[in-house]
This record gives sequence, C-alpha cells and structure tokens, in this order.
Amino acid sequence: MSLSGNPMIQKELRQRMRERRGWILPSLYLVALSAVVCLVYYMITEPRGYSDVISYNSTETQGYQVGVGLFLAAAYTQLGLLLLLAPIFSAGALTIEKEQRTLAGLLTSLLGPAKIWWGKFAASLLFVLLLLVAGLPILTVAFAFGGIGIWEVFITTLTMVIILGTMSAIGLYWSSAFRRSVHATAVSYVTVIVLTVVPWIIYIVAATGTRDDSVYSVPYWARFALYANPVFFLTTSFVPRAQLYPAWCWCLVVFISVSVLCVLLALRNIRRSGDIS
Amino acid sequence: MIEVEQIRKKYKDTEALAGFNLSVADGELFGLIGPNGAGKSTLMKILATLIHSSEGSASIAGIDVARDPESVKRVVGYMPDQPGLYQDMRVREFLEFFAAAFAVPKNKQRAAVEIALERSNLTQRGQSFVEELSFGMKQRLVLAKTLLHDPKLLILDEPATGLDPIARIDLREQLKKLNAEGVTIFISSYILSDLEDICDRVALITAGKNAADAQGQSVLVLQSPGSQMQIYEIDFLGDATFAAARANEAPGVRVLEATQSRLLVEIDGTNIEAARLLQFLVMAGVVVTRFDHPAPSLERRYRQVFGAKQP
Repeated sequence: MSLSGNPMIQKELRQRMRERRGWILPSLYLVALSAVVCLVYYMITEPRGYSDVISYNSTETQGYQVGVGLFLAAAYTQLGLLLLLAPIFSAGALTIEKEQRTLAGLLTSLLGPAKIWWGKFAASLLFVLLLLVAGLPILTVAFAFGGIGIWEVFITTLTMVIILGTMSAIGLYWSSAFRRSVHATAVSYVTVIVLTVVPWIIYIVAATGTRDDSVYSVPYWARFALYANPVFFLTTSFVPRAQLYPAWCWCLVVFISVSVLCVLLALRNIRRSGDIS
Repeated sequence: MIEVEQIRKKYKDTEALAGFNLSVADGELFGLIGPNGAGKSTLMKILATLIHSSEGSASIAGIDVARDPESVKRVVGYMPDQPGLYQDMRVREFLEFFAAAFAVPKNKQRAAVEIALERSNLTQRGQSFVEELSFGMKQRLVLAKTLLHDPKLLILDEPATGLDPIARIDLREQLKKLNAEGVTIFISSYILSDLEDICDRVALITAGKNAADAQGQSVLVLQSPGSQMQIYEIDFLGDATFAAARANEAPGVRVLEATQSRLLVEIDGTNIEAARLLQFLVMAGVVVTRFDHPAPSLERRYRQVFGAKQP
C-alpha cells in the first residue's frame, strides 16, 4: 500500500497534471481563498485602518482578534472550496476507467482491487492535499497578527485531511457503484450537501426547547448526526488541546467509520465490475 | 492448457453459458465461433478471471480459475473486444505502467517495454501520445501490452474487429509467430477466413452450449500439424467419369467429390504438386475451365451449423 510501490498512483497523478484543470483549479482556488481573506480583513479593520488595529486601546479591535478572524475565515473557506472540489477528483476516478473501457486491463493485471482502490484514492486525495498545502501560506497570514499558533494550524489541517479523506472515500464508493462519471459526481455532491446541511437541521430541531445551548443538552441521536458533519468537525478543532475530547474525538470516530465502510463497499464493487469492464 | 467442464453462467433473467465444455491443448491456436450472444465473451471473461462462473469448473495450465485467479493472471494475457487505452499517455508510458502492473521485475521492465515496442512495430512512436496512433497501431499496442509478462496463454476476444485488411494480415502473421514461439492462443472472431487461416481447431458454441455440425462434431479440425493436404475444385467440360478417373491416376491425389462438371480433389503436397496435377489432366485430355481452391470450408460449415438459427 506504499505510494511508490503502486504504479496506479504515478499514472493517475501524471494524467491529472496533464489535464488543463491540473493548473486551472489550484489557481482559481488560491484566488478565491485570497479574496475571502482580503474581504474579511477589510471588514474587521474598516474603517479604523491597520494603525488602530494594533493599538492597545481596549475599545479598538486588537491584533489577535484580526488574526483569529482571518484564520477562521480562511479555514472555513478552505473547507468549503475543498468540499466542492473533492468529488470532482474521486467520483470520476473509477467511472472513467469504465467509460474508456480500461478497467478490464487493470482487473486482469496483477494490481488487484485493493491496489486499484488505493491508487485511485491516494491520487485523488493527494491532489486535494496539494490544494490544502498551497493554501497554508494564506492560513498562516494570521501568525502576523497573533492569537493563532502552530498547534491551531496543525489541528485544523489534520482535521481537514481527515474530512477530505472521508469525502474522497465516499466519492470513490459512488464511482465504483455507477457506470458514468456524471452520475457518480452528482450523487457525491448530494452526499456532501446532505452531510453538511441535514445534521444541522436535525440538531436545530432537536435543540428547540432545550434549556441551554450546549451541544450536550440535545438528545444523543441528534448529536451523533452532527458528528458526521464536516463543518462541525472543523469547528470542534478550534478548541484548546485538552478539550478535543469528546466532540472532536467522536467526530474522528464517525468519519473513520464512514471511510472504512466506503472502502469495503467500494472493494466489493470493484471485484464485481468485471462484467461491465 | 484450457479445461472447461460443464460451465454455467447465470444472470438474473438469462443463462449466458449453459454447460459448455472445452479442451485446448498446449501450443494450440484454437478458435471459438458462434452467433451473437452465444456466450463467447462470457466464457473468455471467466477464463480471464474477470467474472465468476455460476457452476462447473475451468482451469488454465492446471490452475483453477475460480480458486486461484492471481496465479491464472500470471499465465494469461487477455485482450477484450473493444479494448480501452489511456489516450493521454505516451506509448512508452502506457507500456511501462502495465509492465509494473503485471509485476515485471523492475530490472527487466525496460527490456520488456523495448521488446513490446519492437513486437508492435511502434519503436519509432514510443514518445507519441496514444491518441495520435491509428486504429491498427492501437490494436498492436494492446496486443503488445497483453504480452508484457510473457503469458503462456493468450485469450483474444474479437481482436480483428475494425481492422483494415493490411492490419488484419499483420495481426494474423503476429499470432502465427507467437504460436510458433510456443504461446497457446484462444481466439474468437467473426472473420472466419482469418480463423481458417491460423487456427488448428475451432469450437462451436450457441446459446451457451457446445454446438455440433452435421457430423456431430463440436470441434472442427482445420489444420493438422505437419499436414500439407490441399483441397482443389476443378471445373471441366466433357465426361465426368473420364475426368475423375484421370484425376485418381495422378500421384498423391484423391477425388473427394465428382459431379457432372466439377471435381473436388485432395492433393498431398504443395502448389507444385497442384500444378503437376493440372498439367497431368490437360495432357490426359480433360478440358479444364477452372482450377482453384473451393470457397472457405469454415464459412460453409458455419452456415450449415448456425445458418438456420440466425434471425
């Protein structure tokens, strides 16, 4: 399962970087991320200007507040953009082999379903991670203002890697289940939307009428739905290290469980796809 | 090399294979013919480990296809009908990828790719993108890819479909050469003249079962190794009994069929013996108006077996 020992990964990355979207998407992604960060900076500091931001007058916006504001804006924007982009790479990964009739060649080689899956998964995740890493300099602009340290950047990035890994696994499952890329991509987007929106609706409905606004005051099943929400998972990472348990840890368990389930189902589908290859 | 016993493949509503039997010997060039939907591709997919049979058994080189597909993959090269290619890869990259996918040792991959390029006459096109190749070149590339791991058995499902006559001739020659090198070849094709030219034996399949010709044979012998028998059709004017008697007098000639104006003879020998027979008949006073090979016999036999069953 190593990266270097699997010819699929090299092939996939080479083909991906040859496509026009190989450079267009990272460019657009960075432009969008930068634009959001600039806008948020303007909204926080305007009309006082930067000189007032760093003043020590308690009624003025403090530097660390700008730092935290920029960091949160960059992190949520990054997650939003990458949730939009991840299905593009994973949902078409196996369907393209079916569409161009190359799956039979792979299945009759000595790669086997596990190596085919791993190659596709690693290649699609690596491309999304490339975008994530490319956005890190923008995320770390917050360092200049204070309020954000290495730990915050690390745990946020780790959380996003787990979220994107799960989204790639879901996309690959749909890719193994459908014959056409357009169908697999559409269903992957529906899954992302359902995971992002539905848990909040469930949570809001369940929280209506509860005494306090703590997550733990809502019924267990409503909280469980929230643990599968990528935005909530990212939010749970913005806490001190000691408070990662229980919310962040529960989210981690749910995301890893979903990923494992998707892997097993995708492998089963790949094994059975000899007929349509 | 291939042993198939009572193999069945059931889908929800249909039975693609309904108890088919097959035995292909080591080193044979063996054909499979039958109408559309007869089960040819299904059988080939089972042998290539792409799908599982519902019942029955299939083995290749003594290895059970269902129980040990990994070992089967090591000895089989499979070329599906309408094989796909990565159009955005270079020819050399494509072969390098499959050499790695077939677990060719790293120190031998380069040599394997060079041999494959040479075999497919694509050495000059190594840096070209696959999409730039002609259809015939692409087909040669797929065959070269199939041979990267030196398989003992080649399973080819309609390899000549869409090829122009020159590419078909090239393919036939390549298959003959591979077979001479010891590779067993199991091939299906609708181009019966191609199969007749290259195959030793051909199995008949219809509705997932073995089909039989008028003589009850489900496997037709086309060429016996070492045999130089040739069939000729001779049209003539005049007395049929006289012509048949003269032909029978010629050395190494046997009259198979004699009608009012036509003889069907078997000549033991090459074109030289055939020319001698023609000379002999003319010298003996038979007025020969045509001396030629008959229409391809496989086509005739195919029509006999499947002709009435075609919609």
